[in-house]
Amino acid sequence: MGPYLFTEAGDLASLVLEPKHMLAPICQTILSEFPEGKLGVVVRGCEQRALTEMAKLGQVDLDRLVLIGLACTSAMARECACARPYPEHIDAGEKTDGVSPTEDGRVRELLSMELQDRLDIWQEAFTRCIKCYGCRNACPVCICEECTLQQACWVEQGRIPPSLPFHLIRFYHVADKCLGCGACEAACPMDIPLTALHLLFRERLRELFAYEPGLDVAHRSPLITSLQQAPFADGRGE
Amino acid sequence: MDYRSVLTTCPYCGCGCGMYLPVVNGRLGRPLPDRSHPLSQGRLCIKGYAAHEHVNSPDRLTRPLVRDGQGLRPATWDEALKLVASRLMGIRDEHGPDSLAFLCSAKCTNEENYLLQKLARACFGTNHIDHCARLCHAPTVAGLVVAFGSGAMTNSIPDLEEADCILLTGSNTSENHPLISTRLLRAKRNGARLIVVDPRGIHLTRFADIHARPRPGTDVAWINGLMHIILAEGWENREFIAARTEGIEALRAKVAEYPAERVEKITGIEPQQLREIARLYAGAERGSIVYAMGITQHTTGTDNVLALADLAMLTGHVGRRGTGVNPLRGQDNVQGACDMGGLPDVFPGYQPVADPEARVKFGKAWLEDGGDASAVRELPHEPGLTVVEMMSAAAEGRLKAMYVLAENPMLSDPDIHHVREALQALEFLVVQDIFLTETAELADVVLPGSSFAERDGTFTCTDRSVQRIRKAVETPGEARPDWQIIGQVASACGASGFEHGTPEAVFAEMARLTPIYGGISYDRLEREWLRWPCRSPDDPGTELLHVDRFSRGLGHFTPVDYRPPAEEPDEQYPFVLTTGRTMFHYHTGSMTRRSPSLDRELREGFVELNPLDARNLGIADGGRARIASRRGQIEITARLDPAAPPGVVFIPFHFAESAANALTHRSLDPVSKIPEFKVCAVSVEAG
Repeated sequence: MGPYLFTEAGDLASLVLEPKHMLAPICQTILSEFPEGKLGVVVRGCEQRALTEMAKLGQVDLDRLVLIGLACTSAMARECACARPYPEHIDAGEKTDGVSPTEDGRVRELLSMELQDRLDIWQEAFTRCIKCYGCRNACPVCICEECTLQQACWVEQGRIPPSLPFHLIRFYHVADKCLGCGACEAACPMDIPLTALHLLFRERLRELFAYEPGLDVAHRSPLITSLQQAPFADGRGE
Repeated sequence: MDYRSVLTTCPYCGCGCGMYLPVVNGRLGRPLPDRSHPLSQGRLCIKGYAAHEHVNSPDRLTRPLVRDGQGLRPATWDEALKLVASRLMGIRDEHGPDSLAFLCSAKCTNEENYLLQKLARACFGTNHIDHCARLCHAPTVAGLVVAFGSGAMTNSIPDLEEADCILLTGSNTSENHPLISTRLLRAKRNGARLIVVDPRGIHLTRFADIHARPRPGTDVAWINGLMHIILAEGWENREFIAARTEGIEALRAKVAEYPAERVEKITGIEPQQLREIARLYAGAERGSIVYAMGITQHTTGTDNVLALADLAMLTGHVGRRGTGVNPLRGQDNVQGACDMGGLPDVFPGYQPVADPEARVKFGKAWLEDGGDASAVRELPHEPGLTVVEMMSAAAEGRLKAMYVLAENPMLSDPDIHHVREALQALEFLVVQDIFLTETAELADVVLPGSSFAERDGTFTCTDRSVQRIRKAVETPGEARPDWQIIGQVASACGASGFEHGTPEAVFAEMARLTPIYGGISYDRLEREWLRWPCRSPDDPGTELLHVDRFSRGLGHFTPVDYRPPAEEPDEQYPFVLTTGRTMFHYHTGSMTRRSPSLDRELREGFVELNPLDARNLGIADGGRARIASRRGQIEITARLDPAAPPGVVFIPFHFAESAANALTHRSLDPVSKIPEFKVCAVSVEAG
């Protein structure tokens, strides 16, 4: 099934919740096309956090959205290595415990390896890339109008695999916004384990800055700084 | 408030990926991958994500065009249809049915291909109907029918993951069938050996256990060489050969003539490497052969396919999961266009026109049941002309008119200077397309058709899965769905039997007459995943062909001999040119070059050159090169690639301003009539 916009209450009997589509960017499209409209949307935890993060970036007006919260099952939480498999308010489903990213098999394996071996693994994985841009297209917080990945000065155009900057640029563009939703990896035709990379970074962000994207509209990224400010939570670098 | 997402099938290559088309206020947005699709599993390639861009292009044809003294001018549908009917009928009455030829289209639906071949055969009485399958997998259809009894991919796309040894040859899978390279790399990660036999270095050679690089055009020699080693070492599957095949003795005698030392002289592949390939493939539990144009686009194309089929049977790698002989078909519906009888020698479902029973069956359905006001009394029995033969016949004045449905021979066919002469020599040319292509520019009447997003129908992808495409948006301006246009041309000609009203009704008529599609209906496609053959309403379809017996009964070994390519390099033209496609564009570029995100990646053509060759010629990376053959000359930007073989240059055929097919030649495989796009002699100099 694909995303569906219900406009008649009577049709709601046909609502299904699988498979998971990242609905946040679709909400944005619908809200911007219908400026007077208000939209109800069924959100999982990651989708709600995506909407929060998009609101920080000025992409959606949360006042025009009515969120219907859906908790994921513990099986889904494990599959996504999701730390918060539920939205803020749960209207359907049972709240289950989250999974720490370090409990994820792939992440654990990576962490147990020598740095050089980890680099080799990522280089092999990025060599598989066929530059479909699926990771970018699927990402709810990859929102630039003019995409750096398409600029010849950063990434050579018209060849596969793209050079390493393709992945690194995309990675740091979303590093402090990433919700760990896994939409990028689910879209990757080459099975590059992008989520593992993002989960590790999210973990560092939490340790260093006590920051987690998508929780609170008022909570700004600690990486948005000026030369006068230092980002560290404990005041290091001041 | 109008927001819908419409499930459909990607219009580009033969992978058959599933996508939702988002429609907001009647306009298409970027496709969303279908996460529950069995073939593409929620993934697309860059072309798939750009599939809405050509639909929204301002260049779309929106009105019929008719040629007058000044050129092409807008006309009403009434005028255009009447003109097409009167000229085609007039030429037929004056010069006979075989003065007309029809090209159907691998970009159109099964329903439209069925209708156009029915129009050619039942309304005009000619078998001169063909399409660009002639230029890609005609040798597959011809060769695998002889060996196995069915000319299609033996296994399925998901099944490729189950192989423990993959012999990939003549396929740049990552660029041309991206979502199939997914499966190959998964098999590799699961422990399969990946053997790539290809003159060029391609994306997948980075992951290959072995990369063997034969000289272009020497495939029969290395395949025979593998079989020589396998038999000499006793690695053949004797049980399979005894139970399932015939003709092993003739094969044994033939491949005895191909010891590794001789093979090395012909192909350049070292004996040790050849032996290692033989050992891995023959010793595999589940060996899968995957191939594409690098095997077929040769004057020995059919022999190449037969040799691969021999190799698979010799080792028993057919009819089980993870095995098989798997041709990757290049277009969204090229498998379907063949299945629908868009070929000069067969009715739908590969029922030969030469077979009197088939003619009676189709004659009864098309001429008696439907009734026919035109002059056709019985269906023609002589197989018609193939694509390249049509162009020669047109140039010689034997063909007077052509009807081209969504094809662009002015870029896709070999030796395009000759194609231009041929099309200009016609008395009347009709082109039905969505853009004013290089071919449409030469037409007397241009009929504006519809994109994949604007009509209903079915596509059959490379693994024989039959899938729906669904209308998401309206056609622009006065453009019409292609199945309607063909029906309206038929009506204007006074023919009946074309009043179906819906694509579903066309499909139902086709399925009634086509046993391999006999059990498929739109209704079942809503609920079930079906691959042909599917013969009855309770037949679940067929994922693996040839499981307990081959379609023809016993598998047939056909010994073949190495023959050199038609044109080899010499002093004046010392390089070998091979042509092909790239990741970012599709065929003649009429859709992809009008897609901003694809155009941005690759704006112009290039010649791929080995850096040492380039240095000797004084050509720098990004510099200009002049490429000439006996047919023509082009100027093009050089792309130096250390993985390019010395003495061989590659040029993609997407680009009109640096057209690879200005250089290629018209020598044909004697059996399947495919031209040799993969070998011709050229000179290269700094431009």
